[in-house]
Amino acid sequence: MVATSHDVMPDIELYQPADEANALELADTLGSDGWLLGGGQDTYGWLKDRNKSPAAMIELTGIDAWKGVSETGDGIEIGAVTTLTEIANHPLIQSRFSLLATAAGKVASPQIRNVGTLGGNLIQDTRCWYYRRGLSCYRAGGNICYADSPEGLNREHAIFGSSRCVAVSPSDTAPVLVALDAVMVVSSAGGQRLIAAEDFFVGPARDILNMTVLNEGEILTAVRIPNTWANAEYYFEKVADRNVWDFALVNIASAMRVEGGVIQDARMACGAVECVPRRLTAVENLLRGQARSEELGSEAGQLAVQGAEPLNYNHFKVPLMANLVKRAVRA
Amino acid sequence: MNPQLTRRRFIKGVIASGAVAGTTSLWYAANGQSRPAGAVERMIRLNVNGQDRTVDVAPQETLASTLRYKLGLTGTKLGCNRGECGACTVLVDDVPTYACSVLTHSMKDGRIETVEGLEAPDGTLHPVQQGFVEALSPQCGYCTPGQVMAAVGLLRANPNPTREQAREGLAGNICRCGSYDSYLDGVMRAAEIG
Amino acid sequence: MAYMHIGQDFVPPDVAGKVTGRIKYAEDYTREGMVYARLLTSPIPHARVLEVDDSEALAMDGVFGILRAGDVYPDGEPQSTGLKILTDNPTLVGEPILALAAVDEKTAESAIAALNVTFERLPFVLDPLDSLQEGGPNAYLGGNTFGQQGFTEAKWTTDQVASFRAGNTPAEDLATTGPIPTFVIGDLEAGFAAAEGGYVYEGSFTTAGYPHHSMEPRSAMAYWEDGKLYLHGTSQSLTALANDMAGIIGVAKEDLVFINAATGGGFGQRARANSIPSMAIPAKLSQKLNRPVMMRITREEEFTIGGARQGFQGWIKVGFRPDGIMSACDLFVVSDNGGKGGGADAFSAADCISILYQTEAVRFRGASVGTNTAHRGAQRGPGQNQIAPIIAPIMDAAADALGMSRLDIRVVNSAQTGDVGGPQGTPLTSAYMPEALRQAADDFDWEGRQSRRRQRNGSKVTGLGIGQGYHNAGRSGQDGIVMMGADGRLKIHSGVGNLGTYSYAATSRAAAEALKMPWESCDIVTSRTDNHLPITSPQDGSNSIFTNTRTCYGAAMDMVAKMKEIAAADLGGEPADYDISEERVHQIADSGVGMTYAEVAQRAMELGGRYTGEAELPEDLHEWTQIAASRLAGSAFMGIYHDPAHSNNPPGFTVTCTEIELDLETGKFEILDMVSIGECGTVVHPQGLKNQLVGGAVWGIGLSALEQHLYDPQNGLPASTGYWQSKVPTYLDTPVRIDTGWVDLPDPENPVGARGIGEPSQGSVSAALTAAISDALDGHIFGAAPITTDMIINHISGTREDAVALAQNNYRGV
Repeated sequence: MVATSHDVMPDIELYQPADEANALELADTLGSDGWLLGGGQDTYGWLKDRNKSPAAMIELTGIDAWKGVSETGDGIEIGAVTTLTEIANHPLIQSRFSLLATAAGKVASPQIRNVGTLGGNLIQDTRCWYYRRGLSCYRAGGNICYADSPEGLNREHAIFGSSRCVAVSPSDTAPVLVALDAVMVVSSAGGQRLIAAEDFFVGPARDILNMTVLNEGEILTAVRIPNTWANAEYYFEKVADRNVWDFALVNIASAMRVEGGVIQDARMACGAVECVPRRLTAVENLLRGQARSEELGSEAGQLAVQGAEPLNYNHFKVPLMANLVKRAVRA
Repeated sequence: MNPQLTRRRFIKGVIASGAVAGTTSLWYAANGQSRPAGAVERMIRLNVNGQDRTVDVAPQETLASTLRYKLGLTGTKLGCNRGECGACTVLVDDVPTYACSVLTHSMKDGRIETVEGLEAPDGTLHPVQQGFVEALSPQCGYCTPGQVMAAVGLLRANPNPTREQAREGLAGNICRCGSYDSYLDGVMRAAEIG
Repeated sequence: MAYMHIGQDFVPPDVAGKVTGRIKYAEDYTREGMVYARLLTSPIPHARVLEVDDSEALAMDGVFGILRAGDVYPDGEPQSTGLKILTDNPTLVGEPILALAAVDEKTAESAIAALNVTFERLPFVLDPLDSLQEGGPNAYLGGNTFGQQGFTEAKWTTDQVASFRAGNTPAEDLATTGPIPTFVIGDLEAGFAAAEGGYVYEGSFTTAGYPHHSMEPRSAMAYWEDGKLYLHGTSQSLTALANDMAGIIGVAKEDLVFINAATGGGFGQRARANSIPSMAIPAKLSQKLNRPVMMRITREEEFTIGGARQGFQGWIKVGFRPDGIMSACDLFVVSDNGGKGGGADAFSAADCISILYQTEAVRFRGASVGTNTAHRGAQRGPGQNQIAPIIAPIMDAAADALGMSRLDIRVVNSAQTGDVGGPQGTPLTSAYMPEALRQAADDFDWEGRQSRRRQRNGSKVTGLGIGQGYHNAGRSGQDGIVMMGADGRLKIHSGVGNLGTYSYAATSRAAAEALKMPWESCDIVTSRTDNHLPITSPQDGSNSIFTNTRTCYGAAMDMVAKMKEIAAADLGGEPADYDISEERVHQIADSGVGMTYAEVAQRAMELGGRYTGEAELPEDLHEWTQIAASRLAGSAFMGIYHDPAHSNNPPGFTVTCTEIELDLETGKFEILDMVSIGECGTVVHPQGLKNQLVGGAVWGIGLSALEQHLYDPQNGLPASTGYWQSKVPTYLDTPVRIDTGWVDLPDPENPVGARGIGEPSQGSVSAALTAAISDALDGHIFGAAPITTDMIINHISGTREDAVALAQNNYRGV
């Protein structure tokens, strides 16, 4: 591909708004020609490869209002450009929502976590290598999927919910926010809307070009986590090839309320098995009112993978996902 | 399939077409729009290794490019230019950062330190450098500046790490020679030297 | 033997530059008027370039010119495999077609995007078995393999390919092909007959053919001045590479100044000029444009032109007698020659079996076939290290079947001094494998840990593994030069490359040892060829420690002999009446009668002639060394030496023990402990040896557990070009501590008793790791390297048979 000849950053404009109003105005004015820049860890590769060519970047990390962790009446709010390192180390998050701190600490590498933001980790594009290489696949506006073909390299791809495109959600924090019933705060020049984490991510059947419901001109500015699942019994695990850098082959985030060994309620979501973090509602329903045990874990694991449709090279994700659910239940 | 494809047709066939901007101002002109206010100014002042340097920096320039090609600080290495190896690690306000994967403009308010800035004025090596010499941590040396900076960042945050903590702290730096064990020896030695 | 320097640590002179960032790699240089080249590389796996319309690109502001294959090969491209400088017949994605120079890289990239190139697409192939099949595509225009008769086409019937893919016993008449010879050692039939009542294993296997991924991309900068070419490049071998690079560029050896103070990793692919002809691009472009040209190579380009190990699809049958002796091994390997040919890994694998396990009968057959994938060439233990992880679990299965300990089965099959190996039955110069095995087992408490074997801890299970590595580790026939001025300091001229082993410095210390000089009085002269450096062997094949201690010691001993001659002439008596100590040459009978080294050097310079290299140079000096010596002649007191060829095979051996904990639910494992022991003669440089052992360990982990090499079968695109996609091991994939040690017994064919070690250190770790994984899974033999998470989960969960693991190459079968 032509990408083999490209390595340096192309000419592109940069805006560094210092306040919310300016950022929202720029996002509105520039529309799809303005690339929202958080920590940039899912930006520069696209630009260096010339596989995305926006006219300008709008840097969001200079806006203090969208940074940091604060108490709200019924939970906490995390600014979308708070770094993953800060989230992993933040006392409030560690003490109340350690599920998120754990997941944030498992993202990529220390240096990427040092500049990478929560918003960026949630909104990052899928890592399907065909798409990343600049091939004209469905997700890039074309009319073919190279991964879902008899010879496609699809070891990392979806076992659920594919529709023409078989790419998966790469995020480690997204399943956590789904499990914690988080709410996404989305701002635009026209105002603000609140979206449940589970509804924030979209699959290819609904929108094959985008992985979130964000419209042009909209910015994810904060994430609110209600106290509903504060200090619940948590389980997060990420299985990846390498223990640094790599995206999950499968990850799981689970929160449970357990009293006297009996599960009162549970939230569970898996990443890297579908284009969106996959909420395991059937498993949650199964668990309610039951005592944690190996057997219950196995049953939950089998229930979780019902309906899985593995591709040529990713059958292993089915038992792996079932096992992670079992571990979350048993833990 | 037509066996004779021009490269351009081929590329069009397989690469997502996108609006290719030449210079941004031209793009706005071509689209009949006015350029929004607030785009960055090119001449900026950077604090690098304790010195203020005024540099002409393009909006899209990475910190690694500025350091290597504008300021001549070639100790910062480009191993991958994609945030996948760590050879370009520098400190910005004491925080280890991949210089290939941040914009210089984003870091302009930070205190930037590179491997060239660690020695004392009399030439005494920084404890991390001294520890790495004593443990013969480097092999080919290409990842070494990045390992040094990651280790300095680690020891500033945690002056007495366990070997496991050192390993976690340096985890964002690849060494293809596989000298990890010797780098960890060097970090532990550096912590002793203090 | 008590040494002053050998066996002692020291601070190599380049380490300070590495920790301060001051040492310069090729891309760190700049030069007035320098322009920047970028490459147009092939976007398709096999093609012919029909036309390049460069009019628009050349008309762009800031563009200086382009270099095409026709510029570098005016008489046409060589009709052979092997990397070309530039080509109009690319045989892999990413092969350089042309280079374009501009005022900066961004402009060069934009200009390349403005080129209009017309390609003719040619059929491509990624799996050698697809090419072997009748009617299958050929990777090269002339066929699918290249040998002494040039290009040929090797084909099997469809049934033969299907049978091989199914892992069936290869028929006796199955055609072998390729540039490497088949061989038989001993009586194979008798060997397997002896295994009746013992244990016989037969099965197929695959190994990945992954790339080198040196941290420093192979960037280069060149300029011409006063008829001389100054080339800032990267290499494992300073003089050996420059010597051949002159020919590739087409410049006289006298007129090439190759500057290479440090090299950011080599691992086999920067040892020889023909593995890195891309350095000729800035040289040629600079000549054409009359400007300095910097050609930065990107990570992706380093992947496509940086080479890879050969991948194997093989079949192996191993027989063990009831007493555990490996009596026969039959090996058939289809090896992947990639897009540019090259590599004899499979031959070396079979050779390794014969030497490492002292197998009574070995047969090697194979087919060596091209594919439109990365260039293949030497990579750390080429062949030896692919087969080590395949054999180890088989030996364990034999030990279990025969009721032997897994240590004992290795001891009874191990090489000792006096043993021979390989198709020629070459004697080993010395060998202490039983000692290495016992030392590793003791240091690791192998016996004590046996109670933990296969123990369950929740979902985790413990696996123990022991593995061995081998590589031929020493050459001879090279040259050495030492110089001494009137200050009495010793200048050791080294042509060894600096790729991070510090062997350029460690071997130089043999000269200080011979002259009994304190290291503080010695300087190493290296880094650029206009420092007048002797030729030496390419720094590959773990040879430098053996090869260059011989040359440095020899050159220093020549200086010692000349000192004694001068002293005898000036002070009376015969040279034999003199000895050296404390930087003086003096009479043995009366040490007060003598001269300091400074004085004898001064006297040598007065005498001139043979004492300063102006006369009576050793016969058989290499041409390169003759040039260096002629330029040094008369400048100072010279010791010079041509090392005669030695006989026999100096082996490098390693043994590794490891304990892992494998999680049956996630397929992930953690390496809890690891001990690696080197058996490489007398230890020259303990820290350097330790670095080779731990570095090899990381490579072994990559080989056995992680590294992948993928191409998309639909369009031949590489899918694992960067560090992320190729899964190069990180800190957290390797043990928090790797313990090392060494046997340290001298080899008789080296003046300081030393042999090399760099390559086997990977093989033994790789072997120990697959053995440990197999152990944790009740002895299951994957017959593969790497064994990745998905393979482990598929095995444990009994996933459907058509669930294929996608971890290694794209091989469809086996």
